[in-house]
Amino acid sequence: MAASRAVLALPVCLLAGTAAAEVAFSDRSDALPVAHVYSGGWTHFVGGGVAIFDCNDDRLPDLFVAGGESRAELFVNASEPGGDIAFGLGEMAEVTAVTGAYPVDVDSDGQLDLVVLRNGPNLLWRGVGDCGFEPAPSDWRFDGGDEWTTSFTAAFEQGNAWPTLVFGNYVDQRDPDGPFGTCDTNYIFRPVGRSFGSPIPLEPGFCALSMLISDWKRTGAPDLRISNDRQYYVRNGREQMWRLDPLSEYGAEDGWPEMKLWGMGIASRDLTGDGLPEVMLTSMGDQPLQLNRGGGVMENAPFDIGTYATTPYVGDDGRPSTGWHAEFDDLNNDGLVDLFIAKGNVDQMPSNAIHDPNNLLIQQPDRTFVELGAVTGVGTTERARGAGLVDLNLDGKLDIVVVNRRAPMEVWQNTTSDAGNWLSIELASSGVNTRSLGAFAEVRLPDDRVLTQEVTAGGGHVSGAAGPMHFGLGIAESVEVRVIWPGGETSDWTPVAANLRLEVSPGPERALILEDLQ
Amino acid sequence: MKKSILLATVAGAIFATDAMAQDLSVCVSWSNFREERWKTDEAAIVGALDAAGAEYISADAQTSATKQLADIEGMITQGCSALIILAQDSASIGPALDAAEDAGVPVVGYDRMIDDPRAFYLTFDNVEVGRMQARAVLEAQPTGRYVMIKGSPVDPNADFLRGGQQEVLQAALDAGDIEIVGEAYTDDWQPANAQRNMEQILTQTDNGVDAVVASNDGTAGGVVAALTAQGMEGIPVSGQDGDMAALNRVALGTQTVSVWKDSRALGRAAGEIAVAMAQGTAMADVEGSAIFNSPGGNELNSMLLAPIPITQDNLDIVLDAGWIEKETLCAGVSGLAVCE
Repeated sequence: MAASRAVLALPVCLLAGTAAAEVAFSDRSDALPVAHVYSGGWTHFVGGGVAIFDCNDDRLPDLFVAGGESRAELFVNASEPGGDIAFGLGEMAEVTAVTGAYPVDVDSDGQLDLVVLRNGPNLLWRGVGDCGFEPAPSDWRFDGGDEWTTSFTAAFEQGNAWPTLVFGNYVDQRDPDGPFGTCDTNYIFRPVGRSFGSPIPLEPGFCALSMLISDWKRTGAPDLRISNDRQYYVRNGREQMWRLDPLSEYGAEDGWPEMKLWGMGIASRDLTGDGLPEVMLTSMGDQPLQLNRGGGVMENAPFDIGTYATTPYVGDDGRPSTGWHAEFDDLNNDGLVDLFIAKGNVDQMPSNAIHDPNNLLIQQPDRTFVELGAVTGVGTTERARGAGLVDLNLDGKLDIVVVNRRAPMEVWQNTTSDAGNWLSIELASSGVNTRSLGAFAEVRLPDDRVLTQEVTAGGGHVSGAAGPMHFGLGIAESVEVRVIWPGGETSDWTPVAANLRLEVSPGPERALILEDLQ
Repeated sequence: MKKSILLATVAGAIFATDAMAQDLSVCVSWSNFREERWKTDEAAIVGALDAAGAEYISADAQTSATKQLADIEGMITQGCSALIILAQDSASIGPALDAAEDAGVPVVGYDRMIDDPRAFYLTFDNVEVGRMQARAVLEAQPTGRYVMIKGSPVDPNADFLRGGQQEVLQAALDAGDIEIVGEAYTDDWQPANAQRNMEQILTQTDNGVDAVVASNDGTAGGVVAALTAQGMEGIPVSGQDGDMAALNRVALGTQTVSVWKDSRALGRAAGEIAVAMAQGTAMADVEGSAIFNSPGGNELNSMLLAPIPITQDNLDIVLDAGWIEKETLCAGVSGLAVCE
């Protein structure tokens, strides 16, 4: 690993405004060594996730992709930094029935481990470096169960050396009265020392297709949000929020409104600049965006914000869309967070659009979002499922990967020519929780606007990344960075220059230690 | 004179065809006007409003439950004497009823139930549709082995239909004259799913089936395809909707009944009820209204229109109404009086 260690301190220039960049992408799906399809019948109508993480310490993000009935694949990133995206085929034990996966450093050895979700027993793979994995040692006491697992999230709870893992399950296929109204139980795994205790049932379950532990109220006590599929709970279900300690579901007495969705994916990011994460929930028809008003109050964004993406924006199909993975990030580095939604029919559902393009919603200075899926080509109409926004070729611009059901996976290289400045920040801690799950990173722009990102594991549609956070900075040449570490310790504001790839760890007396990774 | 206003966008301008001299304006919120079938309903609503001299204002939610709320709030702001709502998602329409209540605007829930006592519920009597389906099949096949092909499990109407069917079949079941040898929901009401379910039931029962109570014409089409593959077409099969293909099957004798809901009658009733309520008639005092006990435990003021069971004996009704062309109805049919 080539990295020079230095504390970078630069004067803060006061530059306001944003760079107005025309976002552009080119199709680099050919860069994958094989055409990879998420396949299968009804048992793989949902799922199709991708885990994005560096498994060989070269700082290039690698991809583990679910295959459904086909084998899952590992694509090892072989891109030249700043060059075109390239991948090689990783070697891996053959595993099928995979719905999705999430990277987490379970044993805090600094290597990311992989939680592999399946329609059948889940797997926990210990990362051993050089993109090698081995089954979790038996003394970890991981119980893979035998459910149809379709969602996952993890967090380090206060005082624990190991993470808490939550597994969300779909329809109970063993119930003869199914599939309707037979949603399976979800389970939470709490650590006992350096192993996992017995799975604790999280009931009732309502066919969870996405879950995310987030400190959405910024109280230091994160909650577990579960987005559920109304298709199978039918009537007696809802969107759920759980307190983790003591474990209890929010209800009307907490001011938690009853909401029913065909919930498929959760995206979470502060859009309003108050540090509180907004929440995007994918569904059928309306793709609702909820604005976080503080104190536990979420408010539906006005319809004209431009993110509801109810029906296809191309073609003549007026039927409702079906949304899956959603993710916020800044794709043109103008300092305004954009939104990608993977879309596609469940299979042949005639009530919903069949040719259902993905959404590339670019945020405008007036805070509305404009659809550029058609212009950029990213709005393909395959049956998309999982996805991710990630800088694959380390050029400071986020690329897009999309996993499709019944069609090959796509890779879109960001070729925006006049993108703004950027900053890449990866938090690192020694001891437990090496990836600082639960931390918040803040970037203060010269115009005093603060960009906030929370380090989470979970959400999306069975897809997740463990890697650097990307901040678009617009025309700012230098900014200030602050970290609120897990546990609440807040660093000082620390000036840094734009266009750097930094590893950030806690230093003495509220200082940040910045390591330049370029 | 037709007075029609289309509220193009939430904040959009209103284009009136003439000066706003109307005392009454009825606002209609459509869930998705791109669905062809609502155009018939709209014409009937507009007809009833014209007759009463009321103005018609409409908005199209384009399948967005969120846009529908904004549409309704926008129309209330512009001024509505009454609202007719075809809910995109009845589970999330609550805030629209709050807004209507605050503005003192009465609401008619059109076709799809809004399970809230503040809305008048106007639809066809789906329980009666189920009764009519079972009655026609039972008349044709008073004994034997029955299959129940139900609608979508997420559609409350599917269970209303099934309830009505059970009422009629109960006595024959109790007497042991008939037995139910197979029963399945049809995901999304898809004919292909109905066909697959029927094929499975035929396999399980070794083709031991004498009659099929199917909940609509689409599922009946799937059932008849499965029966035909086994050379069993012609056993009693029910349906509903008056689909062109289904009416042709009735004429051919491969389907026993299609229960027809004349959407022109529903639209006309909606217009008339909206005008009456706009003029101050209380929901409970609307002529012909009755209490409907909803699945959510509410007592709703309602009007459930009676559908018409169409069999080989009364196909002239759909012909005379101009619902179907004789050519379509009678394709491949011989020896039936109405087709001569």
